[in-house]
Amino acid sequence: MIMVDVSVIIENIDLLWGGLLMTFKLFIVALAGGLPLGIFLGLGRLSSRKWIYYPVSAYVHFIRNVPLLMLIFWIYFSLPILTGGLVEPFYAAVVSFIIFEATYFGEIIRAGYQSVSKGTIQAAYSTGLNYWQMARYILIPIALRRVVPSMITQSIVLFQDTSLAYVIGLHEFVRMASLIDNRVIRPLELYGFVAIVFLVICSIGSQIVKRLETKEGERK
Amino acid sequence: MKEETPIIEIKNLSKWYGDFQVLDDITTTINRGECVVICGPSGSGKSTLLRCINGLEDFQKGDVIVDGVSIKEISHTKEIYKLRSRIGMVFQHFELYPHMTALENVTLAPKKVFKIPEKEAEKRGMELLEKVGLREHAHKKPGELSGGQQQRVGIARALAMNADIIMFDEPTSALDPEMIRDVLEVMVDLAKGGMTMLVVTHEMGFAKAVADKIIFMDEGRIIEQEDVETFFKNPKSDRAKEFIDRILVHI
Repeated sequence: MIMVDVSVIIENIDLLWGGLLMTFKLFIVALAGGLPLGIFLGLGRLSSRKWIYYPVSAYVHFIRNVPLLMLIFWIYFSLPILTGGLVEPFYAAVVSFIIFEATYFGEIIRAGYQSVSKGTIQAAYSTGLNYWQMARYILIPIALRRVVPSMITQSIVLFQDTSLAYVIGLHEFVRMASLIDNRVIRPLELYGFVAIVFLVICSIGSQIVKRLETKEGERK
Repeated sequence: MKEETPIIEIKNLSKWYGDFQVLDDITTTINRGECVVICGPSGSGKSTLLRCINGLEDFQKGDVIVDGVSIKEISHTKEIYKLRSRIGMVFQHFELYPHMTALENVTLAPKKVFKIPEKEAEKRGMELLEKVGLREHAHKKPGELSGGQQQRVGIARALAMNADIIMFDEPTSALDPEMIRDVLEVMVDLAKGGMTMLVVTHEMGFAKAVADKIIFMDEGRIIEQEDVETFFKNPKSDRAKEFIDRILVHI
């Protein structure tokens, strides 16, 4: 018979909370770095200057075709061999996430920009709007509406990916649960709790996306 | 009789995309109040010609003079925006702003370019939507309108700036047959009202009904420019003859 004893969660709630905070810290720092870098990559991929377009495209293709876990290993284990200095797990994780997620954010931004038809932009110009008016009232509003749902979806993926920082010993949420489990051997309760917390947080995000997408659908 | 004051003068206009010449020494004059139909096979440079007139496309040789203003001289200055506001344009694929209602599509430029107060712009916008028969659809987004309705919003948008000239770039080619008539009716009304119109179209019925002049283009050149009757009855060139035969007899 399976015995579920939630007291293990209550007794260790401080440790788990600390882990969740670390997960959020990872997520927010990675997002704060990944978004701006993503915007630059996206604009780079739209550039007509070859010396910008090709390096940026090569970077994006390379990173997107490598597993994130691989990237974390490189930065945590291989980089110190090359540079001679140690890399803190937190920084190794954050840098990996930024490098990795920025390529996805960049492609979303590029797609959003390209989804605005050239004809619509010409129509705006044909009425006498100048570049800034066209960008403000036409290009950016249309592109943003199309981009925001995918951006939030990708952020949810990033939030889940933070658990990979476990492998380099960072005390984030999953790692915390595992450490407690080593002591009390209550995997069902601990990992069940972790799963529920992830489920709740990500579901909230998905609901926001769904709302935005129905709103966008009504617009069309 | 129409008065013979030139409003658009195109002088030896040539344009290249790389090595490919899209416009080859185009010279013509359009008078105020005239309705000019431009036709010709696809790829003959018709749409490009329109886009050179309002500076949406650059050109390498010659010039376009709109009401005394040289496009070549102002094409990379702020003046071009002012000039564009005087030339309305209607597009093949409507190109309405998808995030705005029909009324907002029509009033955006008057509000932002001419700084007309919201209320006034909306009143005028409603009048224009009424004119194209869409008053009751003013608060719908383009996605909720049929192709023909969208194109009529496009025409109202082009009229909203009180432009002197309206250019139509194949306004009916993306429409279902039953919707073409609604759009053409609006255009015929405009032409009869004395609007200066440049219309790229293959609707020869429209041309026969209201055009003052037909320009036939092929491979970037003007092959013929004639009044409507002469063009259909006695086309000078073989290419125009062939084109007329093909367009009048669809099969």
